[in-house]
Amino acid sequence: MPPPKPNKGKAIAAQFAAAKRAKEAKDGPKTDPEKEIREAGERVSLQERQRAALEATRKKSYGDRWAWTVGFWTWMLCIHVLGLAYFTSGFLLTRLVLDDKSTCDSPPTLSLGGKDILPAWEGKGTTNGGCWHPRTFERAVVVVIDALRYDFTVPVGDGAPYHDAFPFMYETAAQSPANAFLRPFIADPPTATLQRLKGLTTGTLPTFVDLGSSFSGTAIEEDNLLMQLRDAGRRIVHLGDDTWESLFPGYFEGNLSRAYDSFNVWDLHTVDDGVAEHLFPLMSKTSEWDVLIGHCLGVDHAGHRYGPDHAEMAKKLRQMDAFVRDLAATIDDKTLLVVMGDHGMDGKGDHGGESDDEVEAALWMYSPKPIFGRTNPEYVTPPATAKSRPVNQIDLVPTLALLLGIPIPFNNLGRPIEEAFAGSSGKAWNKLAAAERTTAAGIKRYQESYFSARGINHTATPGSPEELWGEAESLFAKATASRKPDWAEVFSAFSAYQEESLKRCKGLWARFDLKMMGQGIAIMAAGVLALLVYITKADDEDANAIDDPELDLAEKRLQMHGIMSSDDDATHLEKKLVSRALFGALVLFGAGFVQSYVSGAGDWYRGASSAALASTAMVLVTLWDSSETLLKLVPRTVWSWMAVVFTLSQSIGFASNSYTIWEDSILLFFLTTFGFATALSSLKLPSLGDRALGIYHSILFVLLGRMASFSKLCREEQMPYCTSTYYASATSSTSATWQLILPFLVFLVLPTIVKGYLVPSRSYEGIAPVWIGYVFRAGLFFSAAYWVLDAADSNGWIPSLPETFLKNVSVYAAQMILGLSLIAGTTAFVWAPPNVSVVTTASKTLPGRAQVAIIGYGNAHGARYLFLPLNLFSACFLLSKPMGGAALALCLWQILSLVELLDLLALTASPIGPVVLAALGTFHFFKTGHQAVLSTIQWDAAFIPLFTVRYPWSPVVVALNTFAGQIVAAAALPLLVLWKTSPKRKGTLDAVSRALGVFIAYFAVEALATMLWAGHLRRHLMLYRIFNPRFMTAAAVLLVVDLVGILVALTGVRANTVAIGDVFGWAE
Amino acid sequence: MPLVDPVTMASPAKSTSPKDATPGVLSPARLLPVQIKASPAAQAARHALPALLAAVYVFRFPALVTDPVPAMASTLPVVAALQVAYAILCLPAAGSPPAASARKTRPGEKKKAAGGAGDAPRGITSALLSLLLTTLIIPLLYFAFVCFGAPAYTFVSHTTLCAAHLAVLALFPLFYVHGVDGAAWAAVGSFHAPCDETFGGCVGAFVGAWLGAVPIPLDWDRDWQRWPVTILCGLYGGYLAGRVLGGTVLWGKRAA
Repeated sequence: MPPPKPNKGKAIAAQFAAAKRAKEAKDGPKTDPEKEIREAGERVSLQERQRAALEATRKKSYGDRWAWTVGFWTWMLCIHVLGLAYFTSGFLLTRLVLDDKSTCDSPPTLSLGGKDILPAWEGKGTTNGGCWHPRTFERAVVVVIDALRYDFTVPVGDGAPYHDAFPFMYETAAQSPANAFLRPFIADPPTATLQRLKGLTTGTLPTFVDLGSSFSGTAIEEDNLLMQLRDAGRRIVHLGDDTWESLFPGYFEGNLSRAYDSFNVWDLHTVDDGVAEHLFPLMSKTSEWDVLIGHCLGVDHAGHRYGPDHAEMAKKLRQMDAFVRDLAATIDDKTLLVVMGDHGMDGKGDHGGESDDEVEAALWMYSPKPIFGRTNPEYVTPPATAKSRPVNQIDLVPTLALLLGIPIPFNNLGRPIEEAFAGSSGKAWNKLAAAERTTAAGIKRYQESYFSARGINHTATPGSPEELWGEAESLFAKATASRKPDWAEVFSAFSAYQEESLKRCKGLWARFDLKMMGQGIAIMAAGVLALLVYITKADDEDANAIDDPELDLAEKRLQMHGIMSSDDDATHLEKKLVSRALFGALVLFGAGFVQSYVSGAGDWYRGASSAALASTAMVLVTLWDSSETLLKLVPRTVWSWMAVVFTLSQSIGFASNSYTIWEDSILLFFLTTFGFATALSSLKLPSLGDRALGIYHSILFVLLGRMASFSKLCREEQMPYCTSTYYASATSSTSATWQLILPFLVFLVLPTIVKGYLVPSRSYEGIAPVWIGYVFRAGLFFSAAYWVLDAADSNGWIPSLPETFLKNVSVYAAQMILGLSLIAGTTAFVWAPPNVSVVTTASKTLPGRAQVAIIGYGNAHGARYLFLPLNLFSACFLLSKPMGGAALALCLWQILSLVELLDLLALTASPIGPVVLAALGTFHFFKTGHQAVLSTIQWDAAFIPLFTVRYPWSPVVVALNTFAGQIVAAAALPLLVLWKTSPKRKGTLDAVSRALGVFIAYFAVEALATMLWAGHLRRHLMLYRIFNPRFMTAAAVLLVVDLVGILVALTGVRANTVAIGDVFGWAE
Repeated sequence: MPLVDPVTMASPAKSTSPKDATPGVLSPARLLPVQIKASPAAQAARHALPALLAAVYVFRFPALVTDPVPAMASTLPVVAALQVAYAILCLPAAGSPPAASARKTRPGEKKKAAGGAGDAPRGITSALLSLLLTTLIIPLLYFAFVCFGAPAYTFVSHTTLCAAHLAVLALFPLFYVHGVDGAAWAAVGSFHAPCDETFGGCVGAFVGAWLGAVPIPLDWDRDWQRWPVTILCGLYGGYLAGRVLGGTVLWGKRAA
């Protein structure tokens, strides 16, 4: 871009003036004084105008460069979003939960028309007589023996401790087939008890995310057996594993039910003994319950603790054998006894995955009344292995529903179990066909609702469920018309339909889409590589931007004379990067679009993946200037090595559940390591004062971190080695009364501490005393007061007040604080002058002349920028609970010490600064009462400044609460560069962008690593409890820091530079 | 440096080149690597003692795993005795002329230093003083352990004993050779000290103890994961490795 015209004109004028001056000087001192004064005045005003023009050019150039930098980071954000979206769509199996419920009086066959297969029975259409099928049993006893693998129950004879110890069920099934049957019972993965119980009661395939109306609770909301039973007025009693209580809160008869802790795997007997103790007395009081559920955990715990191949397992199985034997003896004719395993166990006794041993459980049904039959005499002997004649676990749902006379739950995908409907002769094909058709019609009804809710269209293609349905219905029509109907044929036609629909649903919900996951990982990895190369690239450019006043002066002079163009836009890195990235993206997005249009696949969004990869490739090519590009990634100093080790070791550690669980302790370990390293490194400093200061800040940094680590919210897996201190007790989610003092302590101390960091550089000037001493302090005070009001409200301390009074007051107080910190704070930040003051004193060297000193000049950038993180801190401080607020205050203090340390040790350009800051932010994520699990999200934070859920504010508030540590850290990031820099410092924008690059690289590497591990360990037992939540946390954090980096850090740096530049002149 | 034996000047002299001795900075570069005394006893002890130390540790390891506190407590005096013996036999005490006792004396000069009787009382006094300093430093190390995440109020005896072992291994020899010379300690702390058995051992011990924390979080439920068994393991392994390497291949080398 050519320099603007006026500037050129002025340059000529300046040359003219200079020439004139030279001539005058040669002419000697014969000029008249009046002229000299006039000319001097002209010279001054000319220089003035030149300077102003130069300033304007520099400002404009800065604005352009800033916009391109933001463009680059926006591109990076897009890459992250795309990578995460691709991976997630292939990885997070989601299923929409439909709210529809089956009702007794509208069987799914009703709308199909045609005659019913079975003749009308007494009480048809009522829960007493049987809604959709004649009711067979009045009561049911359902015993779940957790992890009862099929081979535990059949004779094997190999002498293993877990074989032949539980013969009762096999014997009864083989000896009196009309009273009992035993079949393999195949679980659908994930084989974790919670997902299994969902499957066993709803008849559907649970996925990790069941998209329902409420995201936070575990209670099952979709139609299920227990809901139908409850609606039919049946009384349900539950004994054993407390997972039932969390899935079905309020379903069970309170006075008869007993729940036991399910995760205490070291205890083999408490639950089983408890179930037996309370179950047998109930068997004689059949009038008090209709359905009895017992859930024994001993076998599962023996597996987890010892593995199956252990004497304890044999003992446990024999105990279960005796238990079932005794129980069967108490069963009467009107009662059905069901004994089953919810999943199996692998060779080590663990489960959760989908290996054969894990999914093969056993199912046994028993009744003293001879009602069970076999359609083939060969089926009398139970299968020798789980590979022959298995039933699916979801098949229990329609079977139980029809036997007990209640409607089949709406979402059911299972089919009735043959033995239960074949009649003792095994020839009741009409009953079988009726049960099968009713169930199949239910499945069809469900699928139609599901596909229409999801907007999926299916047409009848050969072999598709639609086609099979058509065939089955025509067979049915033929049979009803015929005199001698072939019900067996109808039965198999409908079961073929069921099988095919189930297969399709499994395809929808139970398969990871490896292709999508791979694309996500590829995009993410390419993004990380581009980021790393960008960091090292910017490193070189940074070298030119030295803080040298003479160089700047020379440059200015050249620019004034129009010799050097002040804007290097053409060569500006970010501009090149963004334009090429866009070019690459556009081309391939278009190509992807066209390709999908031509191929008719309709998956035009796939263009996004290739577009992302192409644009990353373009960026990499642009950044790639020599073969050394990759070599530059190798760390060269101890500090860079430290940064790499901190980032990589954590990322590798995410492959292990232990290191993921103990992440908070590991972060403390790293932060302390850094503190000790800076303390040792401070010993090298030449000045004694600096040395003392370095050691002081190092020790402070370590101590504050350790202090913060006392704030803990333990995750389940950390038990029993962890004690939660975040709330009043481990079982509450309210703060203890003493914790309410903490925010007041922060209010008293923190502003003084912040002042303490500004005073040494003499930056506690300008509006700082007012803003930090009064406004910031007032915000903290009101936040502290808010939490007292909140406690008073929830504990009812002042009963005389009107009911909603305290809530109203506290919500308005919270809104006021947020307004003060975010709106007023931002305004003040934008308009505030630098934190300097100009002092005129008498010159010591030249008496009689005044000397002008600018106090706070040396830290003009940093001191002023500090307002921004402080404002954001105030908001997060309010939204974190008292303990979290205190931890966050320690975080801020640590950040201040960190920037001092980096400045003292001349590490502001090293990657260690941003990495430690990122680790610090993550550390305080844990210290503000969070863990990488969904259950620690503090949803109630949404109601701090609001009465009801309001979009988009509620999610923003929850995000500010959840990611407060990372947000404060990201907002404070520019301080690493700006702290103790004077207005003459050049290249701050590049330096900040580079620091941001390192900071985001830390989170991007973590996101990539958790993604890789979660994908790799997708069949791991702990996937849903550890790896997946950690991946989701990393993904959310990455997007949050991307956004905060752009919206707060970069924008804040711009506002700050403009304010400083307007006062001191543009250095950029 | 007139006191330095010209024979030994050859290798360490390189490191004391003007390049390192930046004026103005406290002169840590001038710190010379510690020479092991040349007497046969010293040379024998130099090899025997680390082996003995390793043997003690290996021998006590099962007891340590079963019940760390009594095992650490009972091992501590033995280890301290070994370290004192090492210091008196092999190391020049603080304040003694540097390297005066190293190698053989010049022909004609009287054999007075080489592990002679006159040196022993001074060595014993130094050792006792160093032990006192070592004891005084234990609370500081305890505090450091807590900073790294060790439990603050529980397992006090575990952590204290672990800190004691760390002090006796890593810091006692340094106290013995440097005393309370601030400049020397600054050099050690800022990695400006040349590598020798004492410095190498100290670095090795700290790095080993640091790495010893790595297996603690694993959920393997092994007895040896008990606090502070792994730390002690890393500490001993690191110390011995550092001491041996520092005294041999890395001897006289300086970081950066």
